[in-house]
Formats: sequence, structure tokens, C-alpha cells
Amino acid sequence: MTGSMFDVYATENDGENKLKIQNENAWKFSEILEDPMVKDRWEKVRKYFFLRESTYDMTTRCNIRCEGCYYYEGEKQFTNDNRSPEAWQKLMQTEKERGITYVVLAGAEPSLVPELCEICYQKIPLGAIATNGLKKLSEQIGYRIHISVWGNDNTSRRIRGAENMLISQIDKYKDDPRAVFVYTFTRENIDEAEEVVRLLDQNGCRTTFNMFSAPTGYDGTLRHNEKSLLHVRHTMTALMKKYPVSIWYSHYNVVAHTHPLSLHDLYSCSYPRMNVSKSIGLGRSFRQYRSDLTWNRDVSCCVPDTDCSDCRHYAAGSAVVTARMFRHAANPDTFKAWLDYVDTYLTVWVMGYEKGENLCHEPVAPPDLKVLIKESQE
Amino acid sequence: MPEEIDRIILRVAQVMIHELKLEDVTPETFEPDVDLVDEVGIDSMDLATVALVLQDEYGIRIDEDDYPKLTTVRFISEYIQKKMDK
Repeated sequence: MTGSMFDVYATENDGENKLKIQNENAWKFSEILEDPMVKDRWEKVRKYFFLRESTYDMTTRCNIRCEGCYYYEGEKQFTNDNRSPEAWQKLMQTEKERGITYVVLAGAEPSLVPELCEICYQKIPLGAIATNGLKKLSEQIGYRIHISVWGNDNTSRRIRGAENMLISQIDKYKDDPRAVFVYTFTRENIDEAEEVVRLLDQNGCRTTFNMFSAPTGYDGTLRHNEKSLLHVRHTMTALMKKYPVSIWYSHYNVVAHTHPLSLHDLYSCSYPRMNVSKSIGLGRSFRQYRSDLTWNRDVSCCVPDTDCSDCRHYAAGSAVVTARMFRHAANPDTFKAWLDYVDTYLTVWVMGYEKGENLCHEPVAPPDLKVLIKESQE
Repeated sequence: MPEEIDRIILRVAQVMIHELKLEDVTPETFEPDVDLVDEVGIDSMDLATVALVLQDEYGIRIDEDDYPKLTTVRFISEYIQKKMDK
């Protein structure tokens, strides 16, 4: 690697963009939409602007223990489970009434309380469940199912304490249209991604990528550094090229999630934990419920107890990058990159949404790159 | 200039109705002081869409940080007028 990590994202194309970005009025939105492919994609994704998300820890229990798991950090793991179906029905009804249209059922392991997942689905039919995939969820629950993969089976045995994990996950979900396998890149498993993705591809499974984002105070060997971020970037790009159908990702996803700066530093996180404004958007509507059905605005985000300065989590990006539509509408390249990102996000998170071909075929810098390059030269 | 602001209010209402496909309301009947978030149910992505269209139309720059202030058609219209006067 030569030069600063920031230089990695300064392609020749970016130079032209930067000049246009410096002139705020260089591009009108209507001019950007004159490209029929851009216009079509814009019309496709904007139909989903009605999505209003909140997340719910379903139980404090899990059937495995993974090193670096964000759930078993902080206070939330010490709450008492509320397993009353009536209480969950009431919560979902209240959530619906306050405008929530999309739920994410997460920590610790939702498949251990399938009856509660089903109640959520009956009340709010759009959502996703984050699971380790060891216990299959009923097909009655029509949410997207995100199955976490942290490396090959040797690595899973070592850091998750589970035997034959990937084989077991594939056996349960390989013909399930709800399923998408989420490969989390840590600092240690980057070179295992190829064999895992190949196996998933051979079994007709879909894959998307996540980045290990350290819990607050974690300084273990899974945490990324500049070298590993660059390595992940190259690996993701090569895998996207090799498996263009089975991998749901885009070049801009790669840029956003392997950048030396965290998502918060790049895009200014819009979740309540980092956003004081309650007037509109996530700052107004998002809540992160614990398994006792309480919530606390001060810690509300999709991955509580993650170190914001290290957050590159795929769930965080899905909201944070998507919410920054306005700043990406600065020129055709950044707007196309944003459309690719949103198209990927909707494919990964919303059942029934079909991924389009990526509009960008190379990396595009985030809208504020000109500032980053300037900083790197100082 | 009350006439000028009235024209902007009417146009902002038109853009809002067209872009967000609002039903059961016309630009003339759109109450300019109704809270867009609480009472109309628009969210940040909707507001960003409207802001981009209005930026084009009036040749101004709407600052992303100003969104929290733009909670009614009247506030948006006054904001546009101020930017145009600068």
C-alpha cells in the first residue's frame, strides 16, 4: 500500500466530482434524473420511503457464545425477558400506531422465541430477523432472515463454539427465499471468505457482507485496522466480480464499509444515540427495545454498545447511508452510488424487492471526500 | 411582499402534493401551517425529495441542517424567500 488510506478512494473519476461538488449548484436534481436508468432506479427505490424502522431484542438467551458479540456487552443482557404474547401484541399494535412499518428482530437469538416473532409478523408484516441459523424459523414468518456467518467452520468452532456451523446453516436455509447469509469480516477471517462464499454459491444461497464493529471497550484481535480494511476492500471487490448473482452488494457498499472513517464519521449517524434531533427521521421515530420491552433513547441504535468510532455495521449503514440521500444528490456519480447502496439495502432487508444491476462499476467517493483528502495532506 | 410569499406557498404545496402523491388535498386547500411531520406524516426522505425539487426550481441551496426547521409549508416558503432575497 502506498500513501494514505484516504488516497485509496481518490479515483480519477473522483477528481472531476470534487470540482463539481465544490460548486454547490453544478448539478440540478432534474439533470441527474435525465439519465433514464437513474430515473428508473430512483422511482423504484423511492416507493420504499414509507419504511419506518425500529429494532427489538427478543430474548436475553442465545444457544452459542461468540467472541465480540455486541449483545453481551453493556446493560441490555441483564434485563428480564417479557415472554407474554399479550404484551408483545400490545407493543406491536402501539408501534404500528406510532408509524413503525418495519421491524428488526435481533438479540440475543430470536429463533429461541419463535412464537414472539410470529406475533410481530402478524402485526407488522415487513421486517427482518437476525439469527445464527442453528434453529430454523417457521415459514409462517415471512420476514427476511439474516443468517450470521463469521468464517469457515474451523473459525466458527473457535470463536463461536459451534461445530459444523456453516453446513448446518446451509442445510436449514438453502432453499428458503427469505434467507440471506451475512458474512461478517473480522480482522482474522478475511481469507476464509472465498471458500465460504463459494460454498454458499454452490448451494444457491445469497450472501451479503458485514464488517465486525467493535463493542465499546473491545480491543481484541477481531477489530479492524487500516491494513485489514484495505484487505477486506480488495476481497469484497474480487468476490463481487466472481459471484455477481449470489452476492448482494455494490461498489459503494464496499467504499462505505471499508473506509478508514467509521459510518458515523463519514455520514453523521442519524440514530438517536448520536442524533439529538427528535424532529424528523430516525431521531424522531427509531427505538431499540430490550427484551423486557423498555427502551432508552440515549442508547438507541441498531447495534447498541458498539463503539461508534469503529462502526461499519451493515445494519447501521443501511439506515445511515440511505438517510443521506440529499448530500448524495450532488452529482450523477454520487447519486448513482447512493442508488446502488439503497437498491442493495432494500434487497437485503425487504422480502419481495428484486435487486437491479448496479449502476456503478467502480468505486465512487463519499460526498465529503474532498475534505478527507485535504485532511490527509495536512 | 405578501403576494410573493403566497405564490411560493402555493407552489410548495403543489410540489409537496405531486412528489409525495398526497391525496384529498389541492394546493389551494393545503393548510400552510399544518405540521408536515405530525399531521401529514412525511418523513426525512420525503422532505429531502421535496427540498431537491425546490432547490432546482428556485435556484437556491437548502441546507441539510435546516431540515428540522422546515416543518410546515409556510416555514419552507419563508425559508425559500429569505434565500432568494440574499
